[in-house]
Amino acid sequence: MSDLLTGLLQESVSGIALGCIYALIALGFTLIYKATEVVNFAQGEIMMVGAYINFFFVTQFSAMAGELTGWVFLAALFCSIIFAVLFGIILDYVINRPLKDEPVFSIIMATISLAIILRSLTAMIAGPISLIPVSPFGDSTIKTAGIVISVLDLAIIICAFILMALFFFFFNKTRWGIAMKATSEDSEAAQLMGIPVKQVYRMVWVFAAIVGVISGVLLAPRMALLDTSMSFLGLKAFPAAILGGFGSIPGAIIGGIILGIIETISMGTLSFHFEWIKEINDIIVWIVLIAVLMIRPDGLFGIAKVKRV
Amino acid sequence: MKGRYEDENLKWIPFLILAVFLLPFILKGATFSYKYYLYILNMAGIYIILTVGLDLLSGFTGLMSLGHAAFLAIGAYTSAILVDQAGLPFELSLIITPVIVGLFGLVIGFPALRIEGMYLGLTTMGFGFIIKRLIIALSEWTGGSAGLHVSSASILGYSIKNDWDNYFLIYTFVIIAIIMTRRIIKSKLGRAFMAIRDSERAAEASGINLAKYKLISFFISGMFAGFAGVLFAHTSHFISTDHFDILLSIFFIVMILVGGIGSIYGAVLGTLFVVLMENMFIPLFEDGLAQVIHIESGELQAFIFGLIMLLFIIFQPQGLYGMWLKMRIYWKLFPFNPKKRFT
Repeated sequence: MSDLLTGLLQESVSGIALGCIYALIALGFTLIYKATEVVNFAQGEIMMVGAYINFFFVTQFSAMAGELTGWVFLAALFCSIIFAVLFGIILDYVINRPLKDEPVFSIIMATISLAIILRSLTAMIAGPISLIPVSPFGDSTIKTAGIVISVLDLAIIICAFILMALFFFFFNKTRWGIAMKATSEDSEAAQLMGIPVKQVYRMVWVFAAIVGVISGVLLAPRMALLDTSMSFLGLKAFPAAILGGFGSIPGAIIGGIILGIIETISMGTLSFHFEWIKEINDIIVWIVLIAVLMIRPDGLFGIAKVKRV
Repeated sequence: MKGRYEDENLKWIPFLILAVFLLPFILKGATFSYKYYLYILNMAGIYIILTVGLDLLSGFTGLMSLGHAAFLAIGAYTSAILVDQAGLPFELSLIITPVIVGLFGLVIGFPALRIEGMYLGLTTMGFGFIIKRLIIALSEWTGGSAGLHVSSASILGYSIKNDWDNYFLIYTFVIIAIIMTRRIIKSKLGRAFMAIRDSERAAEASGINLAKYKLISFFISGMFAGFAGVLFAHTSHFISTDHFDILLSIFFIVMILVGGIGSIYGAVLGTLFVVLMENMFIPLFEDGLAQVIHIESGELQAFIFGLIMLLFIIFQPQGLYGMWLKMRIYWKLFPFNPKKRFT
């Protein structure tokens, strides 16, 4: 029995780490959705591009420095974030600006085509061979009470919570955050109140790109190989975002962690004890999602909007 | 006297239908590799039946579905099992399978009564994943992930062997599907759908039973998809879960969007455009380009596809049908065009 319990605890911890990755991607969705009501299908691809860019910088800098030190990783992260800022601005110009007055549906389709473009472009530039990413923390682990946590997982969890807290603070306490909220409510009224709506949109896309790139940087070493299939994790983060209620920042992280734990546990210990779980472990998140939505159609933390005729 | 469809010019319709049935003969005379073109046109035809139904759901009722590939899959597998394993005649499967898939549409329609907008799109996406897994799990009947071979269709004693026969079978049903959807849209049902799309609250206040009409919309859309599934199974002779991917569902939405969402002809045009572009124009263009730069062809194809989609959505958001309407107004008013209208 204690065997099962330790196993469950161990898997919960790695589930939380996986869930935090989902939460970071979901945060990207949430940011854009909060301000523009657009669901960005390309978030997973932005993450993948971030992972590739970071890999590129790491190899470049380590070749320059001659060795792989912590500074190399920091410098690479810094350059990746600068790239993310530029990337976000470009995305805003290409996707958001021209389609500002179009129905949301068209913009969603535009993000889908952007996803296709980014994935194929990355595959063309990087070539068909999978890369082997290096973790800045090596294989080091921390062991407490019979549970082993890798430092990387810990870093992912800490990063996710810090980003989440930052954005939560930003949206609720700063002028720009409140301007973003106002824009999402009614962009025309916000414009009349003197809010620079265009800049707000640009900022949101930049933030989403930064979050995407950071999640890519963190996730890449967690996977054995880096290739374009990484972007499909973006699809898996959708249930996380919906479970928490699209547009709710604490909801995104809680939804992500719930799904991460469900997924890891159902794949691990439980599947040894209960045979039938093995059959459904790759769709269990969707089943949970549909069940939750049947009971609460706006997600766990979403707020039902009042509709006017 | 102006008729029932006064807003449309119907005198071209018989010629169009004639042209559809003459096309294979023209192709046969014109090119040596006409079989390949027929195969692609058959695919397009099957997808047209589906997208026309999807347009009823997403374009006219305003319920987004990202799970239509799953409906297609259910239709294909049900028909394959009914005909090959239960021994039912193909004609009977053509009637039973759409009803079964329609019932699946009701299953996904029930949560849709509460879930709205993007949430619904992603719920249907989850439905797609679940169905895919279910098909693999029921490997006793479906062959699991290895796929399933399906026999040829035979209708009214006439067996349908190759793409040439398939073309006439499929396009007969395409025309029936288009006529049916047109009748639905012009009826009380279609007006109820559009009222729900424009404003659920207003529709409800005017006495439209939201639950009933949403479920009907899902049922009809599922039936069309099931019909397409039957034709798909018996014309491609091999079905596997790899084909009914989430990407296919997304492509269906892309098709109706490219054509112009909320118009039947738009769905037809969009489907033809996407399928032909993907299978014919991009490979042609690619052959030329591949000699200049050496790149993996699959990726380049996806890249060009995505780029064209993006440019299309940015510069022509009303879709192909909207473009056609604009052109028609332009020529009607020709010398006196107010400039503002065409920007």
